[in-house]
Amino acid sequence: MRSLDKLFEHSTRLLARHTSRRSLIASIGSILTGAALVPLLPVDRSSARAADSNAAPHESGPAPAGAAKHDSHRHAPSAKAATDDPLSCEYWKYCAVDGFLCSCCGGSSNTCPPGTTPSPITWIGTCHNPVDNRDYIVSYNDCCGKTSCGHCECNRNEREKPMYRPSRNNDLNWCMANADSNYHCSVSVILGVAEQ
Amino acid sequence: MNIAIRTILRRSALVYLTQCAAVLAAAPPPLPGEHLTVAELGVTKPHWVYVYDEAFNNEIDARVHLFDGDTFRRLGQIDAGYTPGFNLSPDGKTTVVATTYFSRGSRGTRTDVVEFTDNNTLAITQEIVLPPKRAQTLPSYFNIGYSTDSHFLYVAYITPAASFGVLDPDRKSVLSEIDTAGCVLVIPSGPNRVSSVCESGRLLTVTLNPQGQEASRALSEPFFNPDTDPVFVQGIPTAKGYAFLSFLGEVHEVDFSGPQPAFRPTWSLVSATERGIWRPGGVQVGAIHRTKERLFVPMHRGGEGSHKEGGTEIWVFDLKTHARLARWPLQPYKLSPVVALQVSQDETPVLFAATTAAELAVFDARTAQLKHVEQHLGQTPWFILNH
Repeated sequence: MRSLDKLFEHSTRLLARHTSRRSLIASIGSILTGAALVPLLPVDRSSARAADSNAAPHESGPAPAGAAKHDSHRHAPSAKAATDDPLSCEYWKYCAVDGFLCSCCGGSSNTCPPGTTPSPITWIGTCHNPVDNRDYIVSYNDCCGKTSCGHCECNRNEREKPMYRPSRNNDLNWCMANADSNYHCSVSVILGVAEQ
Repeated sequence: MNIAIRTILRRSALVYLTQCAAVLAAAPPPLPGEHLTVAELGVTKPHWVYVYDEAFNNEIDARVHLFDGDTFRRLGQIDAGYTPGFNLSPDGKTTVVATTYFSRGSRGTRTDVVEFTDNNTLAITQEIVLPPKRAQTLPSYFNIGYSTDSHFLYVAYITPAASFGVLDPDRKSVLSEIDTAGCVLVIPSGPNRVSSVCESGRLLTVTLNPQGQEASRALSEPFFNPDTDPVFVQGIPTAKGYAFLSFLGEVHEVDFSGPQPAFRPTWSLVSATERGIWRPGGVQVGAIHRTKERLFVPMHRGGEGSHKEGGTEIWVFDLKTHARLARWPLQPYKLSPVVALQVSQDETPVLFAATTAAELAVFDARTAQLKHVEQHLGQTPWFILNH
């Protein structure tokens, strides 16, 4: 009996560990795949480009008043179409951002600021674009290698999950796997339209 | 000038000099020379708190402030590096900080390390260098923690593969790394057990042998549903374990006193009509007075995705009956939303509340009387510990 018990215990433990590992590998794989797919997916970026180009004059100038406004991310959105403004935390793509908006730090909603390095791993959100009424899968890469930007802090958590579901968690420092894991700011890159 | 006037002037001068001499005679002696010393703190008092400041605008400079809830004075500071985890030893005499430094300040070679601070002197007494895998995330009780006998110290790793390190604080060494198969954080129990929270809503519990290596492991049944109502990873210490609150306000009390975690029946912070409207939120989403069995929770009105918004009210519950005893709105005190709560464990308990505006409010935990508001206690105070 004792040997049977041992055999059963051994096989159960093996199964449990093997299954868990497989799911772990699947989770990590999905994160890495999500990151790798950024340049591959056929994605309509026209709305993002239009929005970014609208914001360009603000991004290039010092605009201290504007910066102050956007730093108050927890305030109610302004009446003027904040969902179309990449400098605003209310911008539709930022629905699960937790950090500093790279748009306010020398980059844009999908560009890291000069001298920083994109994180190869990310968390993923699904955000609704009110302009075309579609849901999009958004990859929230961090930009790494410099200390915190400190401007336009934005903390939104639509469908965000705690860190036991890492691919949906924005509390982790996603610069963790970079050679220099110092966090600077976050971008929001459209991966594609979410399938219903 | 005639003689009479001269006489008057002489007499006036004489009177003046006499008065000056009297004043000089009455002056206090000069201050003695001073000796420069360095303060020590002595025995920790029940109303002292260790307040974690992420310093989010310049994250490589996080710190822990020691604050006195009786005198309302800052007592000292522990430097904490970059996105640290921190905790206290079971006897309260040591603060452990698991952190990261870069060799060139904000860049360069990454060094992960655990630093041990003597809570009497606030001086670092030793350190243990870690592999560069430490979980860089929000503070909780479960980023770093001691076994109950202080023999082991556990540090959560995420690379993003999840595991944890087992350290020997006495020998200043890393004993092992335990793969947790995707389950995260370290919830210590007993002298040699560590539980981690899994994506499936289960707890993985690893039992160690005396050398700090894995002896066995077991998965619990699911105790929450991560899809419909996930729990915050911020457990709140109870008499026998931790309470985990869900996004919708369910209370999952887990007893960690036995060989495996045991789950008590869940109960709710909210009524049926309040469910989905009033929610717990913030970073440190509750505090418990363990002998008085009182639970304090920062609550706010909000929908899906509002789980990190701070509380506009503090709700008080009886852990035994699950009755809500009070609602304390914070608006009358003109406080910003509360993101972290802690309560002292003595007979005259004090409730500490950190806000989004970096205020630290000090309340009488029995009456909600506001005793003090410390403005700008650091930059982003997100977590409070005490002993």
